Amino acid sequence: MRAGTILRAVWLIAAVGFMLLPVYSMLVVASAPDDTDLRGLVFNGFHLPENIGQLFGEGNLPTYLRNSLILCVGTGVLDVIFSAAAGYAMAQLSFPGRRALFALVVGTLALTPMVLVIPVFLIVKELGWVNTFQGMMVPGMISAFGVFLVRQFALGIPQELLLAARIDGAGEFRIFARVAVPLLKPALITLFLVHFLAQWDNLLWPLIVANEQELWPLPVGLANFQSEVGFNYHLTTTAALVTAVPPFVLMVALQRHYVAGLTFGGLKR
Amino acid sequence: MRTRPQAAAGVALTLPVAVFFVVFWLVPFLAAVYLSFTDYEMAGTPRWVGLANYERMFADPGFLNSAWITVVYTVCTVVPTIVLALLVAVPLSKPGRLNRRLRALVMIPAVMPLAATSMVWVIIYSDRGLANTLLGLVGIDPQSWLTSSDLAIWALVVMVVWKSMGLFVIILTAGLQALPGEVYEAAAIDGSGAVTTFTRITLPLLRRTLLFVLVISVAGSMQAFVPAFLLTGGGPADATQVLPYYIWANAFPYEHMGYAAAMGMVLLAAMVIVSALQFGFLKGGDE
Repeated sequence: MRAGTILRAVWLIAAVGFMLLPVYSMLVVASAPDDTDLRGLVFNGFHLPENIGQLFGEGNLPTYLRNSLILCVGTGVLDVIFSAAAGYAMAQLSFPGRRALFALVVGTLALTPMVLVIPVFLIVKELGWVNTFQGMMVPGMISAFGVFLVRQFALGIPQELLLAARIDGAGEFRIFARVAVPLLKPALITLFLVHFLAQWDNLLWPLIVANEQELWPLPVGLANFQSEVGFNYHLTTTAALVTAVPPFVLMVALQRHYVAGLTFGGLKR
Repeated sequence: MRTRPQAAAGVALTLPVAVFFVVFWLVPFLAAVYLSFTDYEMAGTPRWVGLANYERMFADPGFLNSAWITVVYTVCTVVPTIVLALLVAVPLSKPGRLNRRLRALVMIPAVMPLAATSMVWVIIYSDRGLANTLLGLVGIDPQSWLTSSDLAIWALVVMVVWKSMGLFVIILTAGLQALPGEVYEAAAIDGSGAVTTFTRITLPLLRRTLLFVLVISVAGSMQAFVPAFLLTGGGPADATQVLPYYIWANAFPYEHMGYAAAMGMVLLAAMVIVSALQFGFLKGGDE
């Protein structure tokens, strides 16, 4: 029994150590003074602040970072607002077209972006939105995941609560804003987090719709970073590290919501 | 019971979402179906060509190569990821201070953006990088991971397994922690060993979570674009040209949009069939 416990601890520490090795390696290379040692095992001084300073002083990294923040916060907030409204209505209100809308939203969960990018690009081109922020933002603004998540959560709001508010003479919009939204808050935080993380890592769509460097978010910027810094490995790694910081901070702050978002669909009975 | 104010509010609250899904999902989907039967090339107007794109695919070595690589890539990323994640998640889901700390650490690779991860692994796979250093420790000669057509696909697979493992460990751990404790107590009283408990109790109870993980990982691998784009650009000599990459390359740099749309339809059909098979297979045990 005792030996089993120790064996298990050794296996776990080894496995988690292996999972952290590339992250540690990233820290080492991102802190290197130059490209002479790329093994990423032993710190060769700690030049991370200078490297970050250099990237923020002369390169395009601040532009990419700004663009990513605009994209992720902007579409994240819009997704939360629209998904909250639709998810709540689909769960709790009776209106014409409710079933059709639910079928439409759930149906899109089965589609792959590889099928849609071509016609969506043509639509965006028709709208004159190529190389614009709205072109990058609007097509990914609302997620079926979000609508579905809020709907499932809103099904748990007791009918009596809404009925009581109606008897008190509250209008439907007031009930949504004052009664439903506060109850939906945990789901909305989870949704914002999931949306932010997915958008932060979205390479394909901005790559297709934005070919002006001024508009690039971090993933597209990183894809071209090697040529930007003259095939300089340690600075590329520093840029990758900077890219990983905001998701990491959000995850630490909202750990519970992160797990809730990941497991949604896997655990519900 | 439908009341008039409720119906009005319901329509008003869902209208933006309804319009959005029609304009950016339903119409594009129908347009993609239509384009797949045309020779649309960005310039000019689409001309109906019937099944020509679909016939062309099965004579196109580029497509056949990509389809095969996608199969290899999907099987070889999904199976090891789930097996390894289970081997870590089962002991990790047990209570205890060490486990709680390790669970927090596992989240670090899970939230690393794939774009950043890919750049880090480009350096890990470089001539003087971590991969060759570790091989050197056990006396194996350095390899050119990303520029050898034999190794490049395996270099991608290792990175993706590493990247998805963190995510799946978290999901499986949450699933394991939600299992009823009494069953395990009963099993322990009956003298059930660790392996029996795992195969007879844990696996069947965990079926829903496993199905979820399997479905999302297969779907994720079948439509993976970023690793091939960032690590190898589909090369060397098309060795890592997975189908999503081939579709993108045909649609955008080469502007063969009709042909790319047809390949997208085939990918979509394959994904739907594979998902249905997984549901059928794992649902089978549900009485």
